[in-house]
Amino acid sequence: MTLSPQARDRITAFWMLLPTFLVLCGFYLYPTLYNLELSFTDITMLKLRQGGEFVGLANYAEFLQSSSFLDIAINTIFWLTAASVVTRLILGLLIALLLNSRFLQNIRMTTVARLVLLVPWATPPVVAVIAWRWLFDPTHGAVNSLLLSTGLISDPVAFLANLNTVWPAITTIIVWNTTPLVAVSLLAALQTIPEELNEAASIDGATRWQQFRFVTLPYLIPTISVLGLMSVIWTFNNFVYVWLATGAGPGTFTNVLATEVYLRAFVDLRIGYSSAIGVVMAVVMAVFGALYFRFFGLTDMQDKVG
Amino acid sequence: MNITQRKFTLAQAIENGGMLLAFLAFIIFLLAPAVFVFKGSVENLSVSLVSTEGGLTFDNYSRILSDGYFIYVINSLYICIASTVLACLIALFAAYGLSRFRFRGRGFVLGAIMGGQFFPWIILVNPIFIFFARASLINSHLGLILCYTAFITPFTVYLLVGYLTTIPKSLDEAAIVDGASRVQVIFMVIVPIMWPGLVAAATFGFLQSWSEYLLALALITDSNLKTIPLGLYQYFGDVQVDWGAVMAGSVVATVPTLLLFLPLQKKLVAGLTQGAVK
Repeated sequence: MTLSPQARDRITAFWMLLPTFLVLCGFYLYPTLYNLELSFTDITMLKLRQGGEFVGLANYAEFLQSSSFLDIAINTIFWLTAASVVTRLILGLLIALLLNSRFLQNIRMTTVARLVLLVPWATPPVVAVIAWRWLFDPTHGAVNSLLLSTGLISDPVAFLANLNTVWPAITTIIVWNTTPLVAVSLLAALQTIPEELNEAASIDGATRWQQFRFVTLPYLIPTISVLGLMSVIWTFNNFVYVWLATGAGPGTFTNVLATEVYLRAFVDLRIGYSSAIGVVMAVVMAVFGALYFRFFGLTDMQDKVG
Repeated sequence: MNITQRKFTLAQAIENGGMLLAFLAFIIFLLAPAVFVFKGSVENLSVSLVSTEGGLTFDNYSRILSDGYFIYVINSLYICIASTVLACLIALFAAYGLSRFRFRGRGFVLGAIMGGQFFPWIILVNPIFIFFARASLINSHLGLILCYTAFITPFTVYLLVGYLTTIPKSLDEAAIVDGASRVQVIFMVIVPIMWPGLVAAATFGFLQSWSEYLLALALITDSNLKTIPLGLYQYFGDVQVDWGAVMAGSVVATVPTLLLFLPLQKKLVAGLTQGAVK
């Protein structure tokens, strides 16, 4: 039997895509569905093999009514995500403008600045947290010695244990580690802006701020909106920074959704309950993503791939 | 010199001063943590954090070398290289299929691959833990390799599709007319051309798995099987922290990523923001 070339191509394509398809199903789709199933049961670590009993929406009800729910939601949405994403976008934009400035070119520091930017970017998050824990250390950390020597504080501050400073401190760690990506992406976008546009605006009497607001910024909006979406999703689901910086403490003061999922499953051993929190996270992100796409119209993102 | 000119230079001086300050602040904020970690790694720090005036020393490095950190480095290298090779192989075929053939469901597969990059792994920890517990893959390097392969495959496919679309199809067709099979085309025509892209994708995959913490934490408890990110946090005791060891371990964990990042950064940015920056 001879097959037409088109049919043969289709079979070849099938075999070539099969491994990726299996990976996507086996490690993404099926576990997600299984997680959903687990969330309706009371399965625990101790009865992994026999499985749990069906409990309906009890896990969801318990979580949404628990006394810690509001704190965790505020921590995750405001402190972990909003504060760090907004800071990183603004700081990333400022750094990109600095790196693109004539001043830096005049003092021949552009390459040096790009290399400096690489250091926090290439640092693995686990190491970034260590570095800042060391800087923030109450007894011998550099931040405390600096503040003490300038007289800004009279006693050392345990930044990661003090309720007033712990969130700004965690945000600092995240911003340090993640801003370079934003800065470099925005710098790449800045460099695509034709020089003549700014010159023309300047001849027409636009101030520097007006040039930035009406010429530069519109060029950057597509990049900023993609970076914003990526940053929100990555940060909202991030476990490492909070867990390694404070272990969700002091007490449960910095507990976020991701650490709550881990704590309930691997400390309380209640996998079913933990899975329900995971589903809540996924739903929140799906809703956010849908609204974001609607608002910014990024539907052409995937068209660029093919 | 007239007045307007002087005003101009004064304004210029203030602006340059401001820019210089911003540049210095930028350098200090971004570099200080790394500098202090490196400094700490070559200093003699007792566990109580009292820095003795010992000058330069490699004690911290020799100490972590002798107490098992070496094993974490080997474990990480093995796991990350294995997952990277596996992911690149899987992704190479997928990317070829996606860029060369048009078929129903192609858009869906591309969308799934885009979605895979943003997928929250925290949600997958529980189900994967249960699968692996039932399949005796807890405390197994094979389990972690499978996870990391799955973890880095979507972005690898995405990057490789981007590279492959720049390679004209006529090259494939010429080879096929000469009697080559599709697999031969991939390895003898495509791979030699897209070698730089493959290296970039592999580097990215390696870096991703090198710093992964959550899955390793959930799936590995045996001290001899731990990877670098887990191993580093072994030095944080309940009461005391062996800062010297932590610093030396951090430097060992970061040097490879810095070296790999240098040639990769531009490609990475292009890959990440392709959709936005035309």
